[in-house]
Amino acid sequence: MTRVGIDALTYYLPASAPTLAELERRGMLRGPASTLAGFGFERARVAESESHVDMAMHAVRTLLDETNTAADEIDLVLYAGALTSSSTMECAPAPTGSVLLMRDLMDFFKYPASQLQSELDLVNASVAGIDQQGCATIFSSVRLARATLLAEPDVRTVLCVSADRLPHGSPREVVYNLVSDGACAMLVRRDAARNRIVATHQVTKGAFWDSGSLENEIIAAYFPTARTVIEETLRKAGVTLNDIRWVIPHNVSLRSWEILLGLIGCPREKLFSANIGRVGHTIAADNFINLRDATDAGLLHAGDLLLLFTFGYGLNWSCMVLEH
Amino acid sequence: MLVTGGTGTLGRELVARFAGADDVSVVVLTRAGAQGRPAAMPPAVRALAGDVRRGSTLGLSETDRATLHESVTDIVHCAADTTFNRPLADARATNVTGTEAVLAFARDCRRLQRVACFSTVYVAGRTTGCFTEQDVGGADGFVNSYEQSKAEMEAVVRVAMRELPIAIYRLSTIIGDARSGEVTGFNAIHHALRLLYQGLAPMVPGRETGLVDLIPVDFAADASHYLLEREFAAGATYHLCAGVTKSATLGALLDATMAAFERYRPAWRKRSIARPAIVELETYELFVRSVEEAGNQVLLQATRAVQAFAYQLAYPKVFDARRAEGVLAPAGVAVPDVLDYYDRIVRWCIETNWGAQA
Repeated sequence: MTRVGIDALTYYLPASAPTLAELERRGMLRGPASTLAGFGFERARVAESESHVDMAMHAVRTLLDETNTAADEIDLVLYAGALTSSSTMECAPAPTGSVLLMRDLMDFFKYPASQLQSELDLVNASVAGIDQQGCATIFSSVRLARATLLAEPDVRTVLCVSADRLPHGSPREVVYNLVSDGACAMLVRRDAARNRIVATHQVTKGAFWDSGSLENEIIAAYFPTARTVIEETLRKAGVTLNDIRWVIPHNVSLRSWEILLGLIGCPREKLFSANIGRVGHTIAADNFINLRDATDAGLLHAGDLLLLFTFGYGLNWSCMVLEH
Repeated sequence: MLVTGGTGTLGRELVARFAGADDVSVVVLTRAGAQGRPAAMPPAVRALAGDVRRGSTLGLSETDRATLHESVTDIVHCAADTTFNRPLADARATNVTGTEAVLAFARDCRRLQRVACFSTVYVAGRTTGCFTEQDVGGADGFVNSYEQSKAEMEAVVRVAMRELPIAIYRLSTIIGDARSGEVTGFNAIHHALRLLYQGLAPMVPGRETGLVDLIPVDFAADASHYLLEREFAAGATYHLCAGVTKSATLGALLDATMAAFERYRPAWRKRSIARPAIVELETYELFVRSVEEAGNQVLLQATRAVQAFAYQLAYPKVFDARRAEGVLAPAGVAVPDVLDYYDRIVRWCIETNWGAQA
């Protein structure tokens, strides 16, 4: 059996980490800070000067350094952008309000993935952008990386990278979640030493594409479909929840995780929740930030089965089982 | 025959059945009197202004009262406040105090032969397991004020049974007419159906295999009409319910609901609304608390509407109806399997936009 796995991963978080109280003072919350605090949030990470491309670049540089990976080992870059703006270049120092400042027709033909390939000298890598799945986008990159590695023998190392940053000054609360900026990067390889991808599963419900006008319906849709997707992923992996050692979450509210754990019948102790409060919801990078931190904390052991679940606008529910 | 609640879901069906008999003169007590008389009420039926909440006079004029005290042989007491989440004092005002008033009125009826008091099988409250016609509910508390007030009503009625010829008919939840699918009385089940249709019901408490006891109004009316007219037994309590064999599981009902939505509104399928998750009560309550803390008014109303009936699903039970079945079966009066007619109810709800376009 060919083992494709996430061989190494890292992330980048901006240094600025305002508390809920500070965000409330700055008018960046929709409701009272106390509600978000009750749901498990403490602070957000806010990119004050970095662009999303800067964050992606930083994460990839760190990854290559940490793993002593030569730039020319990368055969394919799958660049994931959860926000529509993340798949475009920041054309100028962003003014307040927008990272999407297109001044010229040719600005529409500038791509972060190509810039990253050039800046980091990934000379052997072809690039592709993966987007339009909200916070689930990076899961699709990993899924496609695995499929490519299984299908194309000459592709040995795939770099999956994701970076998202909300526009300057925009509210940090989305559907009772505290949103952070951040990036993650990982190397997906055949015969990876760890994090073998056992199964992936994704469900898309395009009926909810107009996210802004369907907030209540989306909240209602989230839970039952999340359960279905998790159950289907476990079925594909040929395991049960009892076999799962850790649930590595996306950092939506701790409360919503407690509800979802109740739905799937999973003990709270299996949830790696340490980052929900201190990091917030970094749009797409959460699960892999958490995977890295859980690894660094010595919580994961070889052979542990991990369940990663995320949800993105679009709507998309994505899940994977990894064998650490 | 004096009927209270004669314009309600069951009352109007019963009135239609009794009014068809040559030897019965039916008087219906309505809050609006003759002006509030429903168009569908048979011409032979007389509507009198009155209200069970106005004490033993029932709000009747002195003349009407005197006439009824002299002539009434049967009292059919259907009037009730069936709203699940009413403040307890308000529920008691109609269901307990109102019944006390009817019984006080009955004591002055010189030719009285039969009193029928309608209750609910859900006086069982939070009791789980098998609940029989001999059981008195409430030992484990109640899920809502309706159940509690009806159990208190039964206690009042049982005391009165020592001096009056009374039988109690405990009804299951009525969801509509099995033949036409028509719903004349919308209750929490129908509100929950609408929320599901709108995609605002993410979860319900209960168990996949837990039974949901529902009955059609035509069965409720046929059965109680027969029991009252042909087999009246003072002091008896009857369960008019679907029981173990004719109920459906919560899972099967949800599946049937989703299938009916797709069948009768093919466009609904495009909305990709998921079947609600069936969850433990603890998880459901955590969701409700979260919605409350978030202050989301739309979801708050939705969860409260589901809460009103769904909490009962967290206390699985079956209703034993051996006494009623023993009398009804030989007469050919039998409750239909809920899944045999449920589809028609859902269809009627969809096609009339929950009664708005009926």
